[in-house]
Amino acid sequence: MIEKNNNRLGWLFASPYLIFSTVFFLGPLIWSLYLSFTNWDLISPTYDFVGFKNFTKALGTPGVRSAFWVTYKFMIVFVPIVTAMSLFVAVIVKGLPKLKTVFLIGFFLPYLSSGVVASLIVKGFLSHTSPVQTFLRERLGLDIDWLGGSFSALFVVAMIMAWKFTGYYALILTSGLESIDQEVYEAAAIDGVKDSQRFWKITLPLLYPAIYTTLILSFGATFGIFTEVYQLTGGGPNYATNTWQMEIYSQAFKNLQAGYASAIAIMAAVATFISIFVIRKILEMWGKRNGWV
Amino acid sequence: MKKKLAVLISLTLVFTILAGCGSKSNNSGTSADGVTTIEFWAAPNPTQQAYWQKIAKEYETVNPKVKINVSAIKESPTSEASIQAAIAGGSAPTMTENISRGFAAQLANSKALVPLDTIAGFNDIVTKRNMTKTIEPWEFADGHQYVLPIYSNAMLFGWRTDILKEAGVNEVPRTYSEVIEATKKLKAKYPDKYLWAKPDLADPTSWKRWFDFFMLYNAASDGNKFIEGSNFVGDEKAGVDVLSFVDNLRKEKGLLSQNVTEPFENGVGVFTDIGPWTFSTWAEKYPELQYKKNFEVTLPPVPDGMDPANAKTFADAKGIVIYASASPEQQAAAIEFIKWVYSDDKNDVAFFQETNLPPARDDVGTNEVFKPVFEKTPVLLEYAKAIPNAVPSMDNPKFNELQTFIGQEAFNKVVRGEIDPKTGWDNMKKAIEGELQ
Repeated sequence: MIEKNNNRLGWLFASPYLIFSTVFFLGPLIWSLYLSFTNWDLISPTYDFVGFKNFTKALGTPGVRSAFWVTYKFMIVFVPIVTAMSLFVAVIVKGLPKLKTVFLIGFFLPYLSSGVVASLIVKGFLSHTSPVQTFLRERLGLDIDWLGGSFSALFVVAMIMAWKFTGYYALILTSGLESIDQEVYEAAAIDGVKDSQRFWKITLPLLYPAIYTTLILSFGATFGIFTEVYQLTGGGPNYATNTWQMEIYSQAFKNLQAGYASAIAIMAAVATFISIFVIRKILEMWGKRNGWV
Repeated sequence: MKKKLAVLISLTLVFTILAGCGSKSNNSGTSADGVTTIEFWAAPNPTQQAYWQKIAKEYETVNPKVKINVSAIKESPTSEASIQAAIAGGSAPTMTENISRGFAAQLANSKALVPLDTIAGFNDIVTKRNMTKTIEPWEFADGHQYVLPIYSNAMLFGWRTDILKEAGVNEVPRTYSEVIEATKKLKAKYPDKYLWAKPDLADPTSWKRWFDFFMLYNAASDGNKFIEGSNFVGDEKAGVDVLSFVDNLRKEKGLLSQNVTEPFENGVGVFTDIGPWTFSTWAEKYPELQYKKNFEVTLPPVPDGMDPANAKTFADAKGIVIYASASPEQQAAAIEFIKWVYSDDKNDVAFFQETNLPPARDDVGTNEVFKPVFEKTPVLLEYAKAIPNAVPSMDNPKFNELQTFIGQEAFNKVVRGEIDPKTGWDNMKKAIEGELQ
């Protein structure tokens, strides 16, 4: 009887999440899957079933091909930068004698900021007539078209993302650092471990659970890049920053091809799922080597 | 029993909530006391919104059976996207302003618009407003009129004559070789200035091609169509000429496509497209910019050998549409309202005065009623004179994809020096023809 009541209570407490997920995730997912086999244009009252045509068409377009590769390019640039920056912040903050929380909140604030506002500030900062650009041009002879070059545009977007997520990941890493027992360091010192070896041989392996979390989050974030790209580059130059989300948006809301955009969304979901699965396995192998799994 | 009742109540609650989320109004827009309410979304431009609010109030005083709610189209993220979202969500207004021919083609293709020519009274508007010729190119491939054009901006290019004179260019260049020559002189005098400084030059967003490529292409091709029905009919020679002109400007370091704030106004660039809506902003923000004193406007430059005085340009024209989702009562009330507005010339004069946008009429350059507007802002006369030379945008429902290809495959790449003009044209043509199939 008690078990039955507990079950009911469990369902009751879980119901808001279950209803929310059904209405806003599962329902749209099924609807999107259905739409991906149609030629619906978002506003027309009628549409036809087109089989796998949307999928075969998507495979041959430069927009979808670029979305696939650009995501991995963002990973290569963004993940190491944000991991190094958040680790650096976490180590520095942990070493502070006091006001750790204040500093952590300070670093966390960009995570709460609007991507639109951040992008517009960066756009102004990199403007041809901005003080920074004028200085680079007149003093150093460097006339850089930051958003006009394939790599530089990708790098700028990755840096905004890194700025935004560093504080959040640093928070996770700081709690990981705090959980490492001081006695391990003391024992290592007695065994003759040098200061320079402490980080690589002790801290980093023991930080595995926190690093695993931040890496999965940061790899996942690269599949959802939209605001910064939309505001700064529009996916250009020449598709160099055309992410999955940007391509889905362009097809659904600019070209009015909701069915086709749904097919791309399904492809993006499959690519995300497989990529994260592979990355997880690689990270787990690293964890296994350090005795974590 | 108790358990079944609890489940039933829970399910009822859930479905009531969900039904509430998706409820759709099915009323006719007419209340019990016979008042029909029209939702009118005006352009997201304060002067246009103010004009329509004033006109709607005037109309309500003479027609108490109609209530017109005027609000600006939300730009989240664009006015087109807001309209699409409203239609998809079942909350489309009765009518909206600011609809281009290309976007109307998309909407008409989705059966979202009412063919205006099928509504009684539409022809009276065309006749009374003296716009028979103006509306002709607005006819769609299916023979219907879905848009009533409100204004027509024949887009012109502006020249900073003050800076050009300092560089030794005393006459505004009108042909390609004159422009290249002017660029050389400008760079010799001011290495940090550019002939054409505009971030949009490297941006593939479809509508941006109206204000660079199509202005030049219409001039170079003498108004030759680009797309006709579902066929690409672009004039290759004119197209390659335009791209070569842009390429030559790049080679002379005359182009700047980096992000830069108001380059023409700030003197970073000396040449740019200018619409008549610009002048009210300048009057407040850049009062030092005076027509004939430090800037001039002209039709687009043309390839050598063509007559620049009669060059064609792009018509940035927008109009009103009525949505198919509106009730018959609302549609009838909307057309009556439009008929009332355009039955009196003074309403077009007020629109022109308040917005600087030339009304889409055949007689805007000749009708005496518009004279006070030209006296107040003489530069607008140049726009009125250019109306016969202005070619409206394509009416293909895929205009967005097609115009994106112009940028992605040709124009943007030429601006960045990544492709030669002929290859760019060929790639663009191939992409467009592939999309049209």
